[in-house]
Order: sequence, then structure tokens, then C-alpha cells
Amino acid sequence: MHNPKPSQGAAALSLFCLHCLGGSAREWQGVERELGAGISLVGIDLPGFGSAADVPGYSVAAMAEHVAAQVRAAAPGRWMLAGHSMGAKVAAVVARQAVAGAAGLEGLCGLVLLAGSPPGPEPMSEERRADMTGWLDGDAAHRATQAREFVAANAVTLTPEARAAAEVDVLRANPAAWRAWLQSGSREDWAERVGVLPLPALILAGAEDGDLGPEAQRRLMAPHVLTAEHHDLPHARHLLPIEAASTVARLITRFAALPPGETQPPRIPPHYRALLESGRTSTALRDALLARVAPEADTRRAWLPAGAYAVLEAALDRVIPQSPHARIDLAARIERSLAEDAGDGWRFADLPADAEAMHQALLSLDALGRLLHQDGFTGLTDAGRDTLLHRVADGQAAAAAPGLFDGSQMALWFQDLRAMAVKHYVGHPATLARMGYSGVASGGDGPRKSGFTRFGIGEREAWEPVALAGEAP
Amino acid sequence: MKLDTMRRHGLGEVVDAVVIGTGAGGAPLLARLAAAGLRVIALEAGRNREPEDYLTDEALSADLYWRGERLAAGETPQAFGANNSGIGIGGSTLHWGAFVPRVDARDLQLRQDSGQGRDWPIKLDELQPLYVELEAFLGVSGPAHYPWQPARHYPLPALPRNAPAQAMAMGAAQLGVATCNAPAAVVSQDFAQADGPTRLACVHCGYCHQGCRNRAKVSMDTTFLPLAVARGAEIRPGCFAHGLERDSQGRITAVLYRQDGREHRQLCAAVFLCAGAVETPRLLLHLGLGNRSGQVGRNYMAHVATQVWGTFAEEMRGNKGWPSSLMSEAMVRPRDADFAGGYLLQSLGVVPQTWADGVARGRGLWGRALVDYIDRYNFTAGIGINGECLPYDHNRLTLSDEIDETGLPKPHIAFSYGENERRLQAHATRLMTGIWQEAGATDIWALPRSAHTIGTCRMGTDPDDAVVNPFGRSFDIDNLWICDNSVFPSSLAANPALTIMALSLRTAAAFLDR
Ligand SMILES: Cc1cc2nc3c(=O)[nH]c(=O)nc-3n(C[C@H](O)[C@H](O)[C@H](O)COP(=O)(O)OP(=O)(O)OC[C@H]3O[C@@H](n4cnc5c(N)ncnc54)[C@H](O)[C@@H]3O)c2cc1C
Ligand code: SF4
Repeated sequence: MHNPKPSQGAAALSLFCLHCLGGSAREWQGVERELGAGISLVGIDLPGFGSAADVPGYSVAAMAEHVAAQVRAAAPGRWMLAGHSMGAKVAAVVARQAVAGAAGLEGLCGLVLLAGSPPGPEPMSEERRADMTGWLDGDAAHRATQAREFVAANAVTLTPEARAAAEVDVLRANPAAWRAWLQSGSREDWAERVGVLPLPALILAGAEDGDLGPEAQRRLMAPHVLTAEHHDLPHARHLLPIEAASTVARLITRFAALPPGETQPPRIPPHYRALLESGRTSTALRDALLARVAPEADTRRAWLPAGAYAVLEAALDRVIPQSPHARIDLAARIERSLAEDAGDGWRFADLPADAEAMHQALLSLDALGRLLHQDGFTGLTDAGRDTLLHRVADGQAAAAAPGLFDGSQMALWFQDLRAMAVKHYVGHPATLARMGYSGVASGGDGPRKSGFTRFGIGEREAWEPVALAGEAP
Repeated sequence: MKLDTMRRHGLGEVVDAVVIGTGAGGAPLLARLAAAGLRVIALEAGRNREPEDYLTDEALSADLYWRGERLAAGETPQAFGANNSGIGIGGSTLHWGAFVPRVDARDLQLRQDSGQGRDWPIKLDELQPLYVELEAFLGVSGPAHYPWQPARHYPLPALPRNAPAQAMAMGAAQLGVATCNAPAAVVSQDFAQADGPTRLACVHCGYCHQGCRNRAKVSMDTTFLPLAVARGAEIRPGCFAHGLERDSQGRITAVLYRQDGREHRQLCAAVFLCAGAVETPRLLLHLGLGNRSGQVGRNYMAHVATQVWGTFAEEMRGNKGWPSSLMSEAMVRPRDADFAGGYLLQSLGVVPQTWADGVARGRGLWGRALVDYIDRYNFTAGIGINGECLPYDHNRLTLSDEIDETGLPKPHIAFSYGENERRLQAHATRLMTGIWQEAGATDIWALPRSAHTIGTCRMGTDPDDAVVNPFGRSFDIDNLWICDNSVFPSSLAANPALTIMALSLRTAAAFLDR
């Protein structure tokens, strides 16, 4: 049941799960039982473990390739990747490929990292490493003892069945894979290649865990993701999916689908904030950019009627799809700037004044939904909304009623809407960070402003941030 | 700029001239007239700034642009605001790109050569010495050898090429299209500006369009206007001119303007209207002056300014470096052209909000495709053109029936490309696409756009057919002069500002000689 299966049409989200050292896909059983509807869990056995004990390829890259192949085969729509301990490092590497646009990995929308081994070398004393390396060598009795000890040492409380199952998994592991992880996989340094993933992450730590506990998660894992929601699970050590299955399931369910309407603002990753706060950025610019991140920037200055505003929000979600975990409230910002800003110096003569045009266009869009798709715009599915917006963009959607826009007016307004959306989206420091944009550091305050000295093809200053999506595929 | 110690004049004092607008057209002549000992006042609708005030972010620079609403009509409606219209002491030169090609002699006689467009009543020989003088005074940086005019020498060494320029040079070379470092009204070395603070060498920050914080880039408030003030000119910021009083002979006696909500009336012996090719005709149409020819507002032109973008395997980071550091005059008269005139090519560096606006409007991306493409910003680079736009009677600025906050009707600008512009655009798009293919770009796309505001008060020799004479003097009102982008009879392929400044010096000389 834990083998990858083609995604079920009904499931809105597939959650691919990667186990820890000595674990297998089976460790997710408890979590799967309590996961919310609409999330289908797909456990993957990593090479050398569980049902894949005979599959070769123990390097992080080989394990990542193994996972990517399984995801491709499953062809999910929207998906998330969960990684436990060792699995978290593999998850980060797969996520980097997905973010860089690797074929067949489209649709990754979040990470769940449980007591994760970070992309950089895992913190582990040499003594412990040496000690553990030999555990699975030797005779059956020796192996059984070590497995028992390993499981016991990594959990606070386990039911007898869970304990037994975990021990079986350890014993199923290919000793070569076990050694390979301890001797090299855990030492591999992927920190730079993984970079900052432009994804939201749920980062879970066992409050009583050792090297990979709460502190390590904040220090070594969090810097690699755009937004991190941290939870430190009390009375838990390292085998979180087993010892805290219910809590993990509840947190994942909530993370995967925030309650409707609930969103979180994007975070400026620490490296980018550091650049903004450095002497390379002028004080006035820094203050102004940080003001764009302040909660007030997302506060409505309501003048659009509720119905029209809902259409605006729905349309903007199609123009700039954003994760609910990192969502700039574009509708609120656009509504506000239409009310408060001095205008941009022009408008299409075929449209009325900007604010009036917005209101009329939203009413028209809603009417078009009813006319062409038998439901108002907000009542349509995402696909229905896209179909309608494509017709609008092509000038093929006319509401044909007095007071509503004709096809070419709708097309002009939609052009304006796209422009307004990108203006607020791209101007936000979290987006500039995604883009790896270095222009925020164009001077500082001194008499002679700092600029750039390296600006040829492929050149960058040592301090310049890079695009979170990585290089072009 | 520093205005606190400037000479001031009384409202009741009949000054020799009032200059309306302090951009590329108004500033040089203001300095010239002051230097000749005349009592001159400039009225500027916008505010005064120090280079320190600029914010290197587009949304935060919005007050550099003329934000009074203009109504864009026609088949290819033009964007105004940030696209082409400045406000403030210095006018559009506060946020211009400072690319300063000289005009090609053939562009001044396009009609004679091709039967299309309109000829200038001026020959290149008259402009050439003015270009040389301007380049020296402004500190223009340019290539040691200019391929299309070997005798040309620039006072300062060229600015270095940024990544888009390097890529364009490679691609163009493969196609046999000659390129060179672009002449820039930007100092590549610290430069002692006559009568103003020293201008520091360009630091390649790439924010020219948001205002240069180093004074490296020429703007009127760091060059001609300090000179004007040092010679006794007065500059009044925040003053919107909205009326002209005349005597019984029809000569202007005073300019009416509003400052901080208060009305003022400045007596004067002459007026120089230098408000740009939208505000100048708007004011004249509103006042019903200077339009015996019926030409005010007609022949509105905007350069064909199509861009072609591509994605590269390596980082380009076009926000860095002086934006248009490579250019080519090879297409001023393309051999295989099926259109009149030609175009200049230049490499581009575009900061993110402006770039994304082009992606969202011009490429029409939205949804996941838009978000993913925005993530690739650092890997994209563009090339652009500045192409001849023929004057058409129907491309026209008129007054709408909506009144704006100044109390004047909002201007309505109908602008449609003709067959010539469409062909030129197609030719340029093919060439730029080819250059990017040779340079190794993928995902290549074209962004149709137009730039600059040109025409509407053309100069000429026939009072029935032109608004001003070849020196910018109104045919109807002999103490009214116009000097800005509106007097251009044809668009020229060259970007306009250097030529506007040359005309400004020429108009000043004619005024002093009259
Ligand atoms: C983004 C951008 C990039 C550009 N890049 C280049 C380039 O690289 N090379 C180039 O050659 N050209 C470039 N240009 C064009 C160039 O800046 C203009 O052609 C030139 O400045 C026009 O000069 P002007 O005198 O006609 O008008 P402006 O320079 O616009 O000056 C007009 C002034 O008049 C003032 N004014 C208007 N009405 C009134 C009134 N009623 N009362 C008082 N004051 C008034 C305005 O506030 C303004 O300051 C660029 C323009 C822009 C916007
Ligand atoms: S690139 Fe050079 S000229 Fe342009 S704003 Fe920066 S310092 Fe000034």
C-alpha cells in the first residue's frame, strides 16, 4: 500500500514521504491514517531500505534520482514532499530540482521536514558515527540488539507494535546502505546547491531530540526555505512520524490546506534581509522596502463592494498564483492604491477612470461567468476561471449588457490588471529575494555611492544574492 | 539643486523672458540667456530635488513622472507617465537614459530621399558644432573610434559594457552587424562641472531611470541649470503656468501661473514655452494661441521602440551597469528595408518592475507562466531600437472634455502606427531575434512599444504649414518661442534629447541676435 501509485483524481494533493535511516515507507502508516481528506500519502522506500533494500545507489544524488523517478511515474498534480531525518536531505535535493524546473516535477508546493538532516553535513560526533557504522554488521543476535537499542534511543514512548515494526525496518535495511549514509551520505555538502528554496516548509523537531533537535532545525534547516512554520513536538525524540503520528498528521493537514481564507504573508529570507540592512542599501530605500512588508501594507482600504472585491481576489489568484503560506495580498494593495495613489499619468482612452474601470470590469467579469459558464466568476473552478480569462485576454469576452464592458475594453482592463498585479508583486522584497535581485543594494548613504564592479556575462559580486529558483533548466 | 542664493525678481518687474519648463529644451537656453546678461525666470511645474533624494526603486520614483492623466487612444495607444514624461527641476532628463546619439544627416532630409515624412529646415552642418560643444560641456563618454563617423571624438572614455551589451556584441558580430560602445551623457571619470558641484564617475548601479545619485548622469539640474543660476537666472519650482496675457497687438505681456494653490502673474517681454510635446500643445490649444496654421497638436510621433528579450544560460543581471552600453547605427538605412528611414539598436538594462510590466502587458503572460518567468529575471536580457516614426496628420493631440487637477482639459492623444512603422518593426524584430539566437538565447519574444513624445508644434518655413520658424519662434506671436520635443518636424532615428539641447542653444542664439 505504500508503493507509489498513480495519483487518484479525487486527491487534491499528493504527499510523497521519505523515511529516515533504517526506516521504510511503513513508518508513515500512522500519519496516513489520520491525514485529512484530500491528501493522498505516497510512501517511498529509499534505495537500500524497506522493499528497496536491493536497489543500489546510496549517494544523496542517487537517492534523489530514485525519488524523482517515482514522483514522475506518479505524475501528481499538486504535491508536497515530506522527509524524515535522512529523507529530509533527499527531499531538499529533489525540491531544488523541481524548483529549477526539472521535467515531470512540476507542481511541488511545499515541504514537510521532520527532524531533518540538513542539506549541509549532518552534525554528528565522529565517535557516534564510528559506533553506529558497524551496527548492522555481525550475526543476527548482534543485529537484533543494535536495532532494539537504535529504536529505543530515538523515541520517548512507542507502543509495542510500533516498536516492533521499527525494529523490523532496521533489520530489513541493507547494511551497505546503512554504512554509506553514515560514512558519506550524511557528510555530503549540498548546502550551496540547495540554496534557499522558494517554498513554504513545515519544520518539525522533537523537543528531546539530540543533534537534529529544535536548535539544529532553526540553524541549519530553516535558512534553506522561504517560509518556515516551526513546531517542536514535546515528549518526542527523533522518530516523529511514529512516536507522534497524530500530531504530525494534524500539523501536516493544517499546513497542506490552511483553513479557507487563511493565509500567511511571505517572509524575507535572512540572507536578503541582511543585504537590505547592510550599508549597501540606502536608509531611505530600506525603510520604504520594509514598509511594503509591514502588515499594514496588506490592510484593505475598502471601497469596492464585497462582491466585486471577491471577484478581484479570485482573478488575481489566477494572474499571480501564490502559496497561501507566502501570499502578498495583491487585491488589498491594488484596491488601496486605486483609492490613494496619484495615478500613473495615463489611461486607455477607451476605459473610464482607473477606479471606475476596475469596478465595472469586475462586475463584467462576474456577468461573463454567468453568461458563458452558468456561474459568477467566484463560483467557477480554477480551470473555468482560466478559460474565461483567456477569452478576456483575447478580446473575445463581451458582457453585452448596458454598463458593462465590451470585449476590447475587457482586454484593455485585463492588461491593466496584469500590470497592477506585477507591480505590487515584483515590488515586494520577498519577490525580489526570489528573483535574486541585487539592485536593492545600489548605493548606501555615503557621498560616493557603491555600485557594481562585476557586471559582465555570468559575473557577480561576492555579496550578490542568487535567484531562489536556481538556473534555467 | 541649490537655489537658495539665486537672484530673484519681482512679479511686477518686466523680465526679459520667462521660460516655461526646465527640461532638455528649456534649460540650455535659460543658461544662455542668463549668461548674456538677460533677466530670466524659469517656471517649473515640478519640485526641486537633490541627487540624494532619489530612491532606487521604480514605485518609489513615481513622482519623477508627469502624473496628470493623459488619454491614450488609437490602434497603438502610447503609455505616458514613467514611459516618457518627467516633471521637476530638470524635466524628463531626471529620469532619461542619457543615450546621446547624434542625428544622421539623411534623417533630416527623409522626404527628399524617400518621398515620405518631412524634411527639417536645418542642415546637419548647423547642428554639428552644437553637438561638439554640448558633448564637451556635459562630459559625454563615448568610444575612441566611432564606426559611422571616424572624425568624431568624445571627451571621456566609453563606459564599460554590461552583460546584455556583451551578449549583443557577440550576436551582432555573428550576423556582421557592426556595434560600438554607446555614447553616454554620463561621466566615466570624476568631472568638474562648470559652476556646479563635481560630478562623480558612474558606479554602474543601473538606476539611471530613477535618477542618478552620483551626478554621473547628465540631468539639467546638474549641468545647465546650475550654470544658469550662477549667471543670474531665477528658477521657480512648483509653478504651473496656465495662462498668457497679451496686449492689444497680441504680444505676450505676462505669464499666469499657480504655485501652492496661489495665482501669480509674472510680467515679461518674451516667453519660451518648453513644456514638452504634450504640455506645450495642450496649453496652446487651451488658450487658443499660436495655431493659425492649424498644426498645433498634429503629427504626434513616438519612436518605434520595440524590444526583443531572451533567456540565457548564464546570469545577465541587466540591472547592473549603465543600461544601454552598446549601440549600432548599422540600420539607419538597412539595405533590405521595405520602409522609409531606419533605426538605431541599443542593448538594454531594465529594472524589475518596468521589466515585469512589459512581460505582463506586452508578452501577455499570466498565471504560473508569469510567476516562473519573473523568477528568471537574472537570466534575461533585451535589445531595443529607436526607429523612425513618420508624421501623420491623424496622429494628433486634442483636448478631451475631462478637466484635470490643473483646471485644464486632459489631453487626448490618438496614435496609430502606419504601414511604415509596422514594416520597420517587423524588420527590427527579425534582426534582434537573430542577434539573440546567435548569442545563444532561448525563449525569445518581442515587446512592441513606442517611446518619446515628439511633434505637435512643428518648425518650418511656411506659416500656413508650421507652428514655429526654424529657430522656434512662433509665426503668430513674435515674442513667443517654443523649444522642446514638439518642434521636431520628423522623429529622426536618434534619441531626441541631445538634438533638443542643440536646438535650445540655437533658439537662444537667434533670440539674442534678433
Ligand atoms: C525613461 C526615459 C528614458 C529616456 N531616455 C532617453 C535617452 O536615453 N536619450 C534621449 O535622447 N532621450 C531620452 N529620453 C527622452 C528625453 O528625456 C526627452 O526627449 C527630453 O527630455 C524632452 O525634453 P523637453 O524639453 O521636450 O521636455 P521635458 O524634458 O519633459 O521638460 C518639460 C518640462 O516642462 C515642465 N512643464 C510642463 N508643463 C508645464 C507648465 N504648464 N508649467 C510649468 N512647467 C511645465 C515639466 O514639468 C518638465 O519639467 C528618455 C525619456 C524617458 C522618460
Ligand atoms: S549607472 Fe551610472 S549614470 Fe546611471 S544612475 Fe548609476 S551611477 Fe548614475
